[in-house]
Amino acid sequence: MKKLTLIVLLMFALFLQFPAASFAADELRVLIWSEYMPEDFMDNFKKDTGIKSRVELYESTEELVAKLQAGGVKQYDVVVPSDYIINTMIKLNLLQKLDHSKLPNLVNLEDSFKNTAYDPGNEYTAPYQWGTVGMLYNKEKLGADYVASTALFFDPASRKGPVVMIDSIREMLGIALKYMGKSVNTLDKSDLKALADMMIETKSSKYFAGFDVGTGGRSKVVAGTAIAALVYNGDALRAVNEAPDKFVFANPKEGGVIWADNMAIPAGAPHVDYAHTFINWVLDANNGAALSNWTQYATPNKAAKEFITPEDLKNPAIYPSEETMKTLEFITDLGKDNRYYDELWTMIKTR
Amino acid sequence: MKIIDKPEILYGELSTPRKIRTRGLLRISPGMLWIMLFLSIPALSLIVISFTTRGAYGEIEWVFTLENYKRLAGYSLFGWSPDYLKILLRSIIAGLITTVVCIILSYPLAFFISTRDKSTRYLWLTALIIPFWTNLVIRTYAWQIVLAPDLPIAKLAALLHLVPPGSPLYPSSFAVYIGMISAFLPFVALPLYSSVEKLDWSLVEAANDLYCGKWRVFHQAILPQTLPGLSVGAILTFVPAMGIFLIPDLLGGAKYMLVGNLIQQQFGKSRDWPFGAAVSLALMSLTLIALVILNRRGAKMQVL
Amino acid sequence: MFKLNIHYKILAIATYLFLYTPLLAVMVYSFNKSRFGIHWGGLSLDWYVKLLHDDLVIEACINTAVLAVLSTIIATILGTTLAMGLARYPWSKKVMTFFDINLYLPVVTPEIVFAGALVVAFTCLRSISSIFEPGLVTMIIGHVTFQVAFVALVVRSRLASFNNEIEEASRDLYASNWYTFRHVLLPLMMPGIVSGAMLALTLSLDDFIISFFTAGPTSVTLPLYIYGEVHRGITPKIHALSTVGIFVTIALVILSQRISSKDN
Repeated sequence: MKKLTLIVLLMFALFLQFPAASFAADELRVLIWSEYMPEDFMDNFKKDTGIKSRVELYESTEELVAKLQAGGVKQYDVVVPSDYIINTMIKLNLLQKLDHSKLPNLVNLEDSFKNTAYDPGNEYTAPYQWGTVGMLYNKEKLGADYVASTALFFDPASRKGPVVMIDSIREMLGIALKYMGKSVNTLDKSDLKALADMMIETKSSKYFAGFDVGTGGRSKVVAGTAIAALVYNGDALRAVNEAPDKFVFANPKEGGVIWADNMAIPAGAPHVDYAHTFINWVLDANNGAALSNWTQYATPNKAAKEFITPEDLKNPAIYPSEETMKTLEFITDLGKDNRYYDELWTMIKTR
Repeated sequence: MKIIDKPEILYGELSTPRKIRTRGLLRISPGMLWIMLFLSIPALSLIVISFTTRGAYGEIEWVFTLENYKRLAGYSLFGWSPDYLKILLRSIIAGLITTVVCIILSYPLAFFISTRDKSTRYLWLTALIIPFWTNLVIRTYAWQIVLAPDLPIAKLAALLHLVPPGSPLYPSSFAVYIGMISAFLPFVALPLYSSVEKLDWSLVEAANDLYCGKWRVFHQAILPQTLPGLSVGAILTFVPAMGIFLIPDLLGGAKYMLVGNLIQQQFGKSRDWPFGAAVSLALMSLTLIALVILNRRGAKMQVL
Repeated sequence: MFKLNIHYKILAIATYLFLYTPLLAVMVYSFNKSRFGIHWGGLSLDWYVKLLHDDLVIEACINTAVLAVLSTIIATILGTTLAMGLARYPWSKKVMTFFDINLYLPVVTPEIVFAGALVVAFTCLRSISSIFEPGLVTMIIGHVTFQVAFVALVVRSRLASFNNEIEEASRDLYASNWYTFRHVLLPLMMPGIVSGAMLALTLSLDDFIISFFTAGPTSVTLPLYIYGEVHRGITPKIHALSTVGIFVTIALVILSQRISSKDN
């Protein structure tokens, strides 16, 4: 009996030592927003580099961080966080520094993206795409000369039909703050209280059709169960391109949120070399253009601009005019004060 | 003091109590240790975590505080408002309404099946088991189709001015209740049926013969006999219904949030484990209270 | 025999319809040609074809099956021995209460609290060994934890339904312990073990929230896959997948009816 117990314990101890990494197949693991790359993107990557890959999807920045914190930091090789969360991720030791010697294509980036406020010198990240959060709406139901305005969501007098809000804490609250004429990064107590009241009132309206991720909201507008949704411009444009007389995407006149997504490598990534190869490959001019031409987002890659479809370069929904740019605001990380927004969000969702 | 090394006859076997106990422990250990390692001890640690603080970036800071419970009771950063208590109350009510409606619908169902011919009874029972075994995700999102704006139910509601025309009937509390009732109905109907099947109809006949009103017949003759099945069904419905996450998530959106969604949010996007742990404890306490009450009222917890 | 009032009959049938409406809707719309919305675009088998070519879907199916079978086997073995240990020794009241509390804990704990506890458990255990990274292992562990309690309870009630006389009789006839176990006890327990195992299988196939919190990159199961897709936008491909799921369920139900009627 005792011998048996000893053997079982020994086997158990051996079993525990089995590093999970040895189970990890020899492939690149990418964790990225849904619908964020052309369908043949990873196949082309395999053709050019011979590396197999596996892509997993998420729907919101906060979901990404939660996933990494729950163990994903050792399971994924490349993640694509938004600008405002990068500081948080660095503080939580979720990212590792990039090895610039392996990324010669970094020079392709626009100058503004080589030295961003959230990651000067591209220590941890390399820009992927940038874009805005705005309104996708049904032109047939709202009229051809409708000027996109978030009053459709927030003003009881202007509501005309079911509308979907975006299920992303800072971005949704940011758009609401812009409607109120405030900064998306305000910490003013009275502003926040007014924000909470307005969001709760909107939620209780019969025109409120739920919080949805960007692609979910877009699907609802296309399916006809909503007349407008707050979505990311690229997601929206792909739907608009399929039916340009029915749907329109525009940045609301009250202003919106501008964001930049970046490629980064989690601290415990199992295949660091593959990760660098991938990032460098994406930064190549041709691949970067193929990416943006499909996603309909703006590219941070100066060299790629040569290969972008000319219509896209002129499209204000992708590359907003100077005037519009003034109404757009970047979200910033508020450090300890992030919790105000987190608690506000929980409060809004629960009431 | 019991002498544990003296041989005696236990369970038909000549052995010492010590040997039998060792064998018993050996058999129990794997299963019991498993449960303890992966549930009991972590559940206890949830209690501990509920007293910690959430760090600035979503980690756990081992600074002990009552902050989470205060927040649960309503003292948030923006003044006092009983949001979370409302969610707990809403969850209890949702559980109660779901259970009661399921019971009301299950009795006719159970009677119906038990009064079929022996040959067809098996088919009707299978027809009840199929939705029961079908995955909950499928059963729940399917209601999104049924409640869509182009289908009759939503069109009828728009006609009655209950919703703006062209809106689906979800997310809403109505959709959540429909989803819950359809999800939990077999949980009540099946145990209830096993009691109804064993029903002694002579008692019912006797009650009828004594000119009792319909309600009295039910209350005095049927209910007591079906109580075992009923209480199992009630427990199997009320407890999960209170804490369920999937149905309010798919059919309620953020418009109708239950405590299960709140907890999931804290362990997920909001990355606030301490608060999530505190809410979990509140839910667990409610569950235990409900079980004690149901146990006292109903028969002993007869398992399956 | 009790003659059922026509009103109750109608109500019962209506209840059946209520239960089947969503399932029928899914099946009907899985043949819808148009991608978005409920507008009927014509009959099409496209979506089923797409399923066969989708690697992720096939992987999800395999994961679901592997997870269910492995966890059921482990849970049945552990649960049965657990029940035997509990029922075949006169434990003192205090000890028995301790065992009972632990045994009933997985049954009464709301699933979301269970999932939270598992998240905590695995976060701690991860620092000891990387086997506890989110993945198939953690999912199996999570599933077994609640299955084992159900199996143990079912088998225990089965054990309680027959007394020790048969075992005594077997030993009187000089049968060894192992023989008694294999040829006397085990067959008697078998209906209980089988019901317990089928219950465990159903619980695993049906599970969502525990899988949600313990899954890793390569271990997505069908319910998780469908949930993710529903949030991104429903397409008839999901309806097709769900219809396949419904028919697999029907097959399992019929199979289990056969098995349990054989035992009787």
